[in-house]
Amino acid sequence: MMFSKNLYRNKKKIHQKTGDESGRGAKLFLSPVLADNLAHIQNELGNSPDIIVKLFEIGTSRTQAGAVYVDGITDKNMVNQYILHSLMLETHAGVSLEQDQNVLAFINANALTLGEVIVLKDWDSVILSVLSGNTVIFFESTEEALSGNTKGGEQRSITESSTEVVIRGPKDGFTESIGTNVSLVRRRIKSSNIRLEPFKIGLVTQTNVAIMYIQGTVEDSLVQEIRIRLQNIRIEALAGSEHLEELIQDQRMTPFPTIMNSERPDTATGYILDGRIAIFVDGTPFCLIAPATFFMYFKSVEDYYQRPEAAVIIQLLRYAALIISLFGPSIYIAAITFHQEMIPTPLLLSLAAQRESVPFPAFLEALMMEFAFEILREAGIRMPRAIGQAVSIVGALVLGQAAVEAGIVSSAMVIVVALTGISSFSTPSYNMALAIRLIRFGMMAAAALLGFYGIAIFSIFLIGHLCGLASLGVPYMSLSPYVPEDQRDTLFGQPLMTNASNPELTANSNRHVTNGEDAPSSSDSPLNHLNGSGSE
Amino acid sequence: MSKMSAISPTQLFAMIILFELGTALVVPIGLGAGTNAWLSILLAMPGGIILYILIVYFDKQYPTLILSGYIRKIVGAYIGWPISLLYLVFFIYNSARNLREAGDLLITSSYDQTPVVFIHAVMISAVIYVIHKGIKVLFRVGEIYILIMLSLGIISNIAVIFSGAIDIRNLLPILGEGWISTIRNAYPNIFMFPFGELICFTTILTHLKQKKIARKTGILAIIASTILLSMTHAIEVAVIGAGVYNRTTFPLFTVITTVELAEYLQRLDSFVILALIIGVFFKMTIYAYAASAIAADIFSFQEQRKLAYPVGVIIFLVSVLSAWSFPEHNNEGATVVNIVLPVLVAILVLLLFIHLIKKRFMTDRTI
Repeated sequence: MMFSKNLYRNKKKIHQKTGDESGRGAKLFLSPVLADNLAHIQNELGNSPDIIVKLFEIGTSRTQAGAVYVDGITDKNMVNQYILHSLMLETHAGVSLEQDQNVLAFINANALTLGEVIVLKDWDSVILSVLSGNTVIFFESTEEALSGNTKGGEQRSITESSTEVVIRGPKDGFTESIGTNVSLVRRRIKSSNIRLEPFKIGLVTQTNVAIMYIQGTVEDSLVQEIRIRLQNIRIEALAGSEHLEELIQDQRMTPFPTIMNSERPDTATGYILDGRIAIFVDGTPFCLIAPATFFMYFKSVEDYYQRPEAAVIIQLLRYAALIISLFGPSIYIAAITFHQEMIPTPLLLSLAAQRESVPFPAFLEALMMEFAFEILREAGIRMPRAIGQAVSIVGALVLGQAAVEAGIVSSAMVIVVALTGISSFSTPSYNMALAIRLIRFGMMAAAALLGFYGIAIFSIFLIGHLCGLASLGVPYMSLSPYVPEDQRDTLFGQPLMTNASNPELTANSNRHVTNGEDAPSSSDSPLNHLNGSGSE
Repeated sequence: MSKMSAISPTQLFAMIILFELGTALVVPIGLGAGTNAWLSILLAMPGGIILYILIVYFDKQYPTLILSGYIRKIVGAYIGWPISLLYLVFFIYNSARNLREAGDLLITSSYDQTPVVFIHAVMISAVIYVIHKGIKVLFRVGEIYILIMLSLGIISNIAVIFSGAIDIRNLLPILGEGWISTIRNAYPNIFMFPFGELICFTTILTHLKQKKIARKTGILAIIASTILLSMTHAIEVAVIGAGVYNRTTFPLFTVITTVELAEYLQRLDSFVILALIIGVFFKMTIYAYAASAIAADIFSFQEQRKLAYPVGVIIFLVSVLSAWSFPEHNNEGATVVNIVLPVLVAILVLLLFIHLIKKRFMTDRTI
């Protein structure tokens, strides 16, 4: 009788809760009756079969308790060993539970052999806790519950990053688990100044998001800005970091990415040490890095693992490739259509001979080939691996050779398009390469309309647009405003900066000194820790 | 946009160089200075520096006001308003002149099939876009383009030198006609164009971040641009001779066509055209910005950036309609350089005297 009454009361409250969208007005608290609580949670979660409810008695005290967890997202070994086993069997015989003693405090102090246990009082936090993979334990005649961290279950192990490949350097990559990702970075920065701030985003998904930065290295205003942007997100579901990127970026109307992403923990570490903020999103193996500048997208972490001389040359090569992939086809179009006099005569003769049989204007020819190449590229990404060879045969033979022989395109155009395509692959960041790909078509149209003049004007528009962009309020074109110390890294790569070439050892202590505010005692420095442990 | 957009000294430096080189790099300057054009340019530099110091002085006296603002402070609203309007009209007209020059060079070089209206419209749309983005963006763009401009200059100079086209004898005799004619070429001709055009910066210095070094930066920029300009014109005369230099419309263009290096590097025309496009773009944009700033001030218009559209459209129309032919355009240019610009500079000097007298008078009265 009493049971049903309680249930009724709870139901009414549930209705109230669903009516009240924000859910903040009326907080719903646990009931002292164990069966009541267990029934409520099962009810709330829709009697799902993967919600495991286990009733048991604690040790010898005969106190009733119930453990609730979700199968699949919890570590079963932990639940069995540290919660059920220790509560049911190993409760010390010597220490017996007095009648008037608080069950909760007793269990927490004597019986639970878990590191992370918190006390919960209201239903919202209980439900969230269960759904996050924790095990929640209810006790008879107690209006509070214990939640033990038993998160686990099947996860992808740490594997090498597939999107950012390096020849030399660490082979670990981020995974879908936010905890693993944070730990990968933490392992690399053993500083007490590192800060991790958690957020929950998405009313339905309740996705874990965390920002990580080094206090003192990063400007406080940036951290404040990102906090505000994250807190202001009102959204039902957060799909992943690319979704978050869209929600917190400065400008909507731009093809350029204004927030960097990386799958590599060493890249993230480097940028955190640089004074930037990393944003981790649970369920995505790409962490976001802000503020980003245009030139960051043309650096690869590889540059830091190779000799500086080689790294500088390779970086310059990458910028050259950027220019080719942006201007390649448009310069060809402009030269063929408007400025034939600029081409040296022997070359012009051979080009004219090639183009003799081609019925299309250069712009149309270029557009056709670029279009075909983009289709090939897209097909290459989406198709199953087994038919890869078929695509390359079609691409290389049919679209290349046969098209030239049939007189549809000139062979010079095939060379230009191929060079452009290869160049665009040398941009380390895929989303920047995408933006460049898009803009290339605009540039081609401008060249077809007005030759070099069109290219020049389009470039002014482009640079004007880039200069107007900002990432977290920091200008996107870091070349301007010009700060010489910032530029060394842009042009010459990190190795010239002694303090950055070996971040774990020296960067932190140096930063502190320059920061001036809280210079650490020398024993704080990670270098000393390392030395100390070495001498022992 | 924040209340005060800040420009860094480097950006100012870059912009003054771009502005000074602008069209002056490409067209013959100093109307018939010929052999000694390079010397006249050097001689005109002190005048440019003094003018710049005058501009900085005004900015120091009225740090929050632009030209039209302190004109009204000095001579009162009733006289000040029409004078400001005069500057506004001049800025728009000169911006249009620059556009016209670029358009004509483009048409003569390789766009004889393209309607001039289209070429002008494309350029003005870029100007409107950048001004609409704000002065901060404009100066950042300038900082990037100065690098492009300098690399174009270095490559072209190397090409010209190694092609062996330079004949130093063309520059002799130095001072063949004596000091008098060289100085008379410098003042007022070269002093007015390109140095006199610095009066545009009366609307820009308010936005500077570190005003203390504004003077030093600006003077350094003027010296640097003078050296570049003088060198370029010396090379031009050395390559094509004083006679052709005076007769041709775009001497730099003629010079670059003579370059022939290793059979393959024959055509650097596009470099000159590119340099001209960049130079004209910045010159026009600064003029258009100055015009929109003054217009916003004298008509008390809150959103200055929106004035980019009307100012741009007017510049476009003036550039197309002001002269029917290039010779007519050049004649108008002579009038501008010889009469209008000197008057505007003189007004500035006059304002200085009025300001100084007022200041003296006021302090006397307070004592």
